Amino acid sequence: MSDGFEAAAEIARTARRAAEACAGLDAAATARRLGGDGLLGVLAPEAVGGLALPLSVAAPVVAAAEAALLPFPLVEALLGARLLAGRQDDLAAAIVAGEAICTAAPAGALRSEGGRLSGTVGHAPLGTAARWLFAAVDGGGAALLDLHANGVSVVEEPGLELERPLAHVALQDAPAALMLDGAAWTTFQADALLLRAAGALGAAEHCMQRAIAHITDRKQFGRALVSFQGLRFELARHKLALEGARGTLGHALSVAGQDPCGQDVARLVARVTVAEAAPAIVEGAIQLHGGMGFTWDLGLHRHLRRVKAAALALDAVAARGALVERLDQLWAA
Amino acid sequence: MSAAESVAVVGTPDYRTRHRTWLAANLPPHWRADAVDYRPPSLDEAKAWEAELHRQGLWGIAWPREYGGHGLSLREHLIANQEIGRLPMPESQNSIGKELAGPIILAIATEEQKRRYLPAILEMREIWCQGFSEPEAGSDLAGLRTRATRDGAAWRVNGQKVWTSGAHRAQRCLLLARTGSMEARHGGLSLFALRMDQPGVTVRPLRQITGEAEYCEVFFDDALVEPEDALGEPEAGWQAAVRVLEVERGTNRMYRAWRFEQELRHLVTACRNEPALARLLEDGHYRQRIAQVQVDVEVLKRMVEQVVDDLVGGQPIGGRGSLSKQHWSEAHQRFAALALEMVEQASYPPSPEVAAAQRRFRKLYLQARAETIYAGTTQIQLGIIADRILKLPRGA
Repeated sequence: MSDGFEAAAEIARTARRAAEACAGLDAAATARRLGGDGLLGVLAPEAVGGLALPLSVAAPVVAAAEAALLPFPLVEALLGARLLAGRQDDLAAAIVAGEAICTAAPAGALRSEGGRLSGTVGHAPLGTAARWLFAAVDGGGAALLDLHANGVSVVEEPGLELERPLAHVALQDAPAALMLDGAAWTTFQADALLLRAAGALGAAEHCMQRAIAHITDRKQFGRALVSFQGLRFELARHKLALEGARGTLGHALSVAGQDPCGQDVARLVARVTVAEAAPAIVEGAIQLHGGMGFTWDLGLHRHLRRVKAAALALDAVAARGALVERLDQLWAA
Repeated sequence: MSAAESVAVVGTPDYRTRHRTWLAANLPPHWRADAVDYRPPSLDEAKAWEAELHRQGLWGIAWPREYGGHGLSLREHLIANQEIGRLPMPESQNSIGKELAGPIILAIATEEQKRRYLPAILEMREIWCQGFSEPEAGSDLAGLRTRATRDGAAWRVNGQKVWTSGAHRAQRCLLLARTGSMEARHGGLSLFALRMDQPGVTVRPLRQITGEAEYCEVFFDDALVEPEDALGEPEAGWQAAVRVLEVERGTNRMYRAWRFEQELRHLVTACRNEPALARLLEDGHYRQRIAQVQVDVEVLKRMVEQVVDDLVGGQPIGGRGSLSKQHWSEAHQRFAALALEMVEQASYPPSPEVAAAQRRFRKLYLQARAETIYAGTTQIQLGIIADRILKLPRGA
């Protein structure tokens, strides 16, 4: 057990170093760097070059990447490699190595007719730089698509985030590289939410630390801002929210394997806490930076954009709705 | 069954089941806070019940066996508290003895004192109260004025305490008194185990927001502390006690998250069985708020479990008891307000079940106002989080 902890801690350290080293790199170079450090294969089995570690070990990797604003669809790579292993080993190995970029379209679903796919799906992060796409298919399940195939058009679409612009993908009688069953796709989506939550909290903590550094340095009224109780209490509130969310997310990650559909209490609770806490902490960090907080150059808006987008995907209202349904079942029993 | 025999039983893998089964079979139904015929135990009944809980292995779980404890770890303490929380049981009449005085005694008292005080706490022969706060020293104990002066080898105490829970039923007071100068602030304070049944001690109950009188004022007029009742070295005991209290804030009333969940289930059950309230359970607004209460409960569970994991693993918890205290107190207030808002929408006249829920949640709503004040106010907790967890510099 302590070996597992040590391995996880080592991966977290590697992730932080790699994320720093990726500053200024584009998506392809980032993929190669992360792949070279073994970080893209954390979840994938050893047969495709991965480490076959549990979901909780991938969380600090995503947290480090989000804190560093990496321009790379890391969650999709981690889960895509795991999903493709045993189905398309060569592609899974290429993703693990950082030689192929995959993304996923969380919005919309495609029609399948005679083995060909048509329709429009969207909100695929960094869709224009990716070669491979996971997208839902009507009636359950999903397809893996080669975005360079005939009958596929990929266009950037508006969204909050800057480093990984979203794309929508239109298909007309395009071939599927692989069809995936509903269960596998459901787990992919549920685990993607938890990893996005981990990323959002990692970014939120990073922004909170920046706010602390700022108010420690900045003097107004003849004293350091950090000496003002109002600001100290504000940060204490952020810490309380951060730790509350971190605890529920850690628990959800550790029991994720028992709930592959993402409908049990632990995952739903984590979605709510992170969706509420993470944007509030980043918004608070902007506030604590005063007039410079909302400038473009300070850059906190970049984190806010990503964190808010993650929070919208986590969808606290829907998660609370599903939670109360679950409680109805549990408490009726 | 004696305490010593019960240890063998609690050490088995059936630890949780054993407690669950015993509690379900032995908790008198009318003591349940959700009972239609609710009637709280008398003081004598409560003492007998708590003494039995101890014999059954549900109190003193992690205390050493030589002092009447069960010699187990905080893990078993957590499991037992989860089971205690699952039932709407009466609150302990001696939580100060068990969760404040006891741990301090374990840390700083002499061997003779441990053997004298600790079994008496668990067996409910001595109920303790906490004599810290004073009219001029609430959150800031540095301003404490009650003075203990030497009288030969003994001490004489003069002054006043206030907000002293349970003083009217207590046999002992964990007294914090000034033995040094006011200028020494926290440095001039000492701890005593003062006997309450003596002429120099006057207790005056204070009526509280719920209408009950659980708090007291306590007046000391040349009250005597025998030499054997001084705790720790003068002016050093308090510094040691502060370190104990830091851990206690993270571990006391560990059943709270599970009791909170029981309260939520009571609310939902009461609403289900009444048509006007059942409609609220279908309303999206209330469904969101109910789900949020469960989220708050889950957050609290994880905070408590993390503290247990850290302590069992030998990790310091620093000020992290403040996180769970702060989260619980505010979330519980939100819940109490929601519960009252819902049950008061029942049709009239309410069924006995709904009336029971209304009674419980009216009281809870009022009682919960105290929860962000006692054991360190919200403002004190936020200060601890800022100073000791975030370690924010003081600035200048």
